[in-house]
Amino acid sequence: MSCIEARSLSKSYDGLEAVSSIDLSVSAGKIFGFLGPNGAGKTTTIKLLTTLIAPTSGTIHILGMDAIRHPLEVRKKVGVVLQQPSYEPTLSVEKSIEKYAMMWNVDKKLQKDRVEELLSAFDLHDIRKKKNDDLSIGQRRRVQVAREFVHDMDLLFLDEPTVGLDPSARRSLLDYVKKKVREGLTIFFTTHILEEAEYLCDEIAIINKGKIIAVDTPTELKNKFGREKTIKIHIGETRKDLSVLLQGIHDYQIEYDSGTIITIRSHSSEDVLLKILQILTVNEIPIEDLSVVPTSLEEIFLTMVKNSNASSGSISK
Amino acid sequence: MGFLIWQVIFPLIYIFVAGFAYTALIHEVPFANKRLDYPAFIASGMIGFNIMNSTLVSGIIIWNDRRHGMFEQILVGPFTRAQYILSNVYTIGIIGLISAGLITAVGYPLFFKSVEFNILTIPLVVFASITGSILFGSIASIISTRLKSSEGFNVVINTVFLFFAFVSTAFYPAEGAPKALAMAFYFNPLTYLVDVVRAGIFGNFNSLVGLEMLVLACGSVILFVMATKLLSKLEL
Repeated sequence: MSCIEARSLSKSYDGLEAVSSIDLSVSAGKIFGFLGPNGAGKTTTIKLLTTLIAPTSGTIHILGMDAIRHPLEVRKKVGVVLQQPSYEPTLSVEKSIEKYAMMWNVDKKLQKDRVEELLSAFDLHDIRKKKNDDLSIGQRRRVQVAREFVHDMDLLFLDEPTVGLDPSARRSLLDYVKKKVREGLTIFFTTHILEEAEYLCDEIAIINKGKIIAVDTPTELKNKFGREKTIKIHIGETRKDLSVLLQGIHDYQIEYDSGTIITIRSHSSEDVLLKILQILTVNEIPIEDLSVVPTSLEEIFLTMVKNSNASSGSISK
Repeated sequence: MGFLIWQVIFPLIYIFVAGFAYTALIHEVPFANKRLDYPAFIASGMIGFNIMNSTLVSGIIIWNDRRHGMFEQILVGPFTRAQYILSNVYTIGIIGLISAGLITAVGYPLFFKSVEFNILTIPLVVFASITGSILFGSIASIISTRLKSSEGFNVVINTVFLFFAFVSTAFYPAEGAPKALAMAFYFNPLTYLVDVVRAGIFGNFNSLVGLEMLVLACGSVILFVMATKLLSKLEL
């Protein structure tokens, strides 16, 4: 079942297209990562999908409901953690979560148990009586994310939820999200921290300048766009004729750092590596160290955004 | 609680300080077929004024929600935008009613000579509280959702509410005021609100008061619809 179906979705502000005819399909029980550089259209897309703003054109179906015609019904079934901080300064951490539960009409008994669970899961026990105004940015963010889990929902939108969190809080949050997904929740997750997307997401869409430039699983994205590997060879002596010796090899880019470190980037890294090793052996050039680094999602992302900026950006699937 | 205390103390200062201080200048105020002493006149005016003044807070609540990011968070919650405005107005309406009750109790010694409680007193005061809360609450909502800077919000809301407070019959009667000013009083919903409250307290309900109630009811419906529509169309 598809939790989110958006077709030809566009949003313009004063003639400027923030989101340009995008299609999205998110399956139930999955974590869908939505990546893009600043100002790419991630937050506008979340605002459209959560009924906060109306699209200029296109259709949105959330959990099978038409989100444009029945926004309230949609909102009753989804949770949203927006990118911007939101808190009530005079309320304590505990009261904030309790009030949020009240807003969502959570059963009183259930509410008590959930508040305790969230205080513990988000490591908020020690600061439960502190007022939001007295919290650090990271603590406030934790409260903001924690309170969203106090109510029942089928789909949760998380817009850069880990901004301001320290590494351990970030990991706890991601693990809590994973746990909730195992229990059946669907997550729409935006971030620009690519390790997070790689760790968490079942599927990833990359958006740039309001257009989706790629949608796939992290593994497939790597297979399709990350075939290039980087090989670093540290040789034992400086050889001025090295570039001449390696001239016969094709399909690679090479850099000579400080004369003894060779960095090679190639799509057919295995072939290129074999040929280089052969040449180095034949010419009796000693190898001190050798490493092969696969392309990270971050490099794929940067390359795709760069290519998309250079051209008009076509959809890759 | 602090707000409620302030909502009672603030008008009491007007009633007891301004009310008695101005008695030297204004001995009696003509009102329908009666002549009220000034403290009684201003005490009854303060009930209406206080209902309006409470709704200022409705705007401040929305403004604070916007400032701390709760506005958008609430709008993605399981409510309609009309419910959001109504919930603020409802909260403030209750505060307005409680403070109106407290002012009536505290101000009673001042207007007990002229008071004529009857079967219409409570319905009229409650009607004024409800329509006044919705009407002024909607105005405050419109201002707080349209303005983007806190300076702009403070300037506009204070100017608008200053006009409402002083270009009305809350502090002085229309009779005897320059004609243009007396006319301006009747472009102000607070005048209608105060007239309805006074009609309840001093027992002078008549067809003109009935008409004023109709204007208040229509005004509150129109402004509430406007506030909701504007909030629905607000680009966030």
